[in-house]
Amino acid sequence: MEQTLFILGVNHRTAAVAVRERLAYADREIAPALGRLKSHATAISEAAILSTCNRVEVVGVGADPVRALEEAAEFVAADRKVPLEAFADTLYRLEGRDAARHLFRVGASLDSMVVGEPQILGQVKLAYANAAEAGTVGLVLHRSFHKAFSVAKRVRKATLIGHGSVSISSAAVALAGQIFDSLKDKTVMLMGAGKMAELTARQLRSLGIESLIITSRTFDNAVGLARGLGGTAVPFDSYKPYLKFVDIVIGSVAVTRPVIAPDEFEGIIKERRYKPIFLIDLGVPRNFDERMNSLENVYLYDIDDLSQVVHKSRAEREHEAERAEEIVELEVEAFWRWMNGLDLVPTIKDIRYSIDRLRDLELGRHRSWLSTLEPAERTRVELLTRGLTNKLLHRILQGLRTSGVNTPDGAYAAEVARKLLCGEISATGANLEALGTDHDDEDDF
Amino acid sequence: MTNMDTLWLAPALVCYALSAVIFIAGRLTRTSRASGWAIYLLGAGVIFHALDLTARGFQAGNIPVGNFAQALSFFAWLTALASLLLIVRLQMAVIGAYSVGVVAATLGASAIMMKGGRIVLPASLQSVWLPIHVTLAILGFSMFVLASSVSLVYLAYESQLKAKRPLGPASERPPSLEKLDRINYSLLGWGFALLSLAIITGAIWADATWGHFWSWEPVESWSLTIWILYAALLEARLTVGWRGRRAAALTIVVFLVLVGSFVGVSLIDPGKHGGWFG
Repeated sequence: MEQTLFILGVNHRTAAVAVRERLAYADREIAPALGRLKSHATAISEAAILSTCNRVEVVGVGADPVRALEEAAEFVAADRKVPLEAFADTLYRLEGRDAARHLFRVGASLDSMVVGEPQILGQVKLAYANAAEAGTVGLVLHRSFHKAFSVAKRVRKATLIGHGSVSISSAAVALAGQIFDSLKDKTVMLMGAGKMAELTARQLRSLGIESLIITSRTFDNAVGLARGLGGTAVPFDSYKPYLKFVDIVIGSVAVTRPVIAPDEFEGIIKERRYKPIFLIDLGVPRNFDERMNSLENVYLYDIDDLSQVVHKSRAEREHEAERAEEIVELEVEAFWRWMNGLDLVPTIKDIRYSIDRLRDLELGRHRSWLSTLEPAERTRVELLTRGLTNKLLHRILQGLRTSGVNTPDGAYAAEVARKLLCGEISATGANLEALGTDHDDEDDF
Repeated sequence: MTNMDTLWLAPALVCYALSAVIFIAGRLTRTSRASGWAIYLLGAGVIFHALDLTARGFQAGNIPVGNFAQALSFFAWLTALASLLLIVRLQMAVIGAYSVGVVAATLGASAIMMKGGRIVLPASLQSVWLPIHVTLAILGFSMFVLASSVSLVYLAYESQLKAKRPLGPASERPPSLEKLDRINYSLLGWGFALLSLAIITGAIWADATWGHFWSWEPVESWSLTIWILYAALLEARLTVGWRGRRAAALTIVVFLVLVGSFVGVSLIDPGKHGGWFG
């Protein structure tokens, strides 16, 4: 039985959201679904389901990938109650090396709608955890997912794929850093309680902004937000005097026309003695008159301006993605060799280490007795135990080498030996220490 | 052409020129990858140049400002040194394209004008006031060169931000507008203070040598004019709050007036300051 990785799925490129949403699984539905899959599909030995806004994928293992893929497709159709014809031509079916490559690319955020966005890795980790919980992770999935995690990490380190502002709020925050030297001594005014405005304020907060003024048409909202973010709420009819000394204004009030007239604002600018002010207009309709951008030391960015910045960074990320693809390709190659048992070295090392450790432990337990022995006798004991472990090790290695080194069966044998002798955490027993989600990027996708 | 003259001047000039080329290329391509090399070259240039000035100073028996070419060279050195400090201490490599460009061009012009032979100052100028007055005046000029360089960067960045084109990837983030404006302000302050002291020491020296503080000769008149312009610029900043773009543009305008007047005066009617032409 030759176990091969396969992936069946739809993503944002192959299928419209109308299709994706019908196939999508909520997080809590996944483990039970995997249970059903396991009991129905005979050609699938291991499986995980990855479901995000942009993709629904069954990552599985089977001896006959063609049949396994067929079963997976039928399962998804039946389980989601969507006729297979409705999405058959949006499905991609990958097996073997292609499937591994796909999994690595997804984990490294190369297949994302916004290339380099950091959330996907957490979602892939979650898919693995769900499958582990359902008991549908075996050796091949265990290895494949863990390799995907490490490839993702490597790509993030070696390329600028996660750089640049790819969200409106992070673009606004980056701009603030180009206008102002330090944000610590600046004051932010939040006008309106829009979600994106709040997010932007939060990000500015995390960069050191200490003084925050919040105003909203509904004063209660301002108070609530002030409590949540740690700021001062100001009634909407009396916010204008504060414009004299705030440095950044985030506007997201629902209005039909700009909240302040350009010539009134010009007066405020004079009163500020031309102290720079950064206006972030997240409102639609816009909160600030675009002519205000031409006032001295006023920097006004509306939602479209910020989107443009975001588009540019995305283009730069795509460029970095080319380098990332090369890394993935190298990793796929190495992984495939390893998968096929060509690379026994790590296993052999582990087994040798484990057996040597057992011997050391035993000798340690008898240390006091050993110390009563004559030096010659002690040496004898050492030699005897060493001989025993060496013989054992030799036999195991011999067995592994002859059990078909470059077949998946050989790899299985090696893994079994490793498990038995090294007491490694079993693949299905959820090796979850790597499951913490990464938050090293403040983008909000 | 004496040997001592050219031994250090050529390597200094080469270092400055290469440094300027790297800075300018970096500015044009919007990268700072090679700026480390440019900074090392600038430092090497400053050292070679210092050796050259020392040698000439020994010949002159005072600081080497015996003619216009030498004065230019001294100015180039002070500007290079001040640029180096600004670039290293405040991470302002971005100004190198301008300030080091000025250094290389000035020293180049000086080298072309530099006449061979020993330059000895006339007895009337041999005084302790010479190094004090001249160093203050020239250092003041250097500050204004740097202030103008910072202002040029400011104007470029500011219009980029106003035009909704942010300034490149975070890994190469240039200094913020606020920082540029602040540095411009302090350079102007230093330049103004040095210029004031240069005028005062010049007056004292004139009184000691000729018996009167002020004789309304062209360099004096223009210095006073420029002093008034800088005073007004600083005053406007403090009271009305002229900062940012307006302050940067005016810094450059006043500097152009300064350069124009001094070059013009030197060529047309240098007066007592014509000692520069030896």
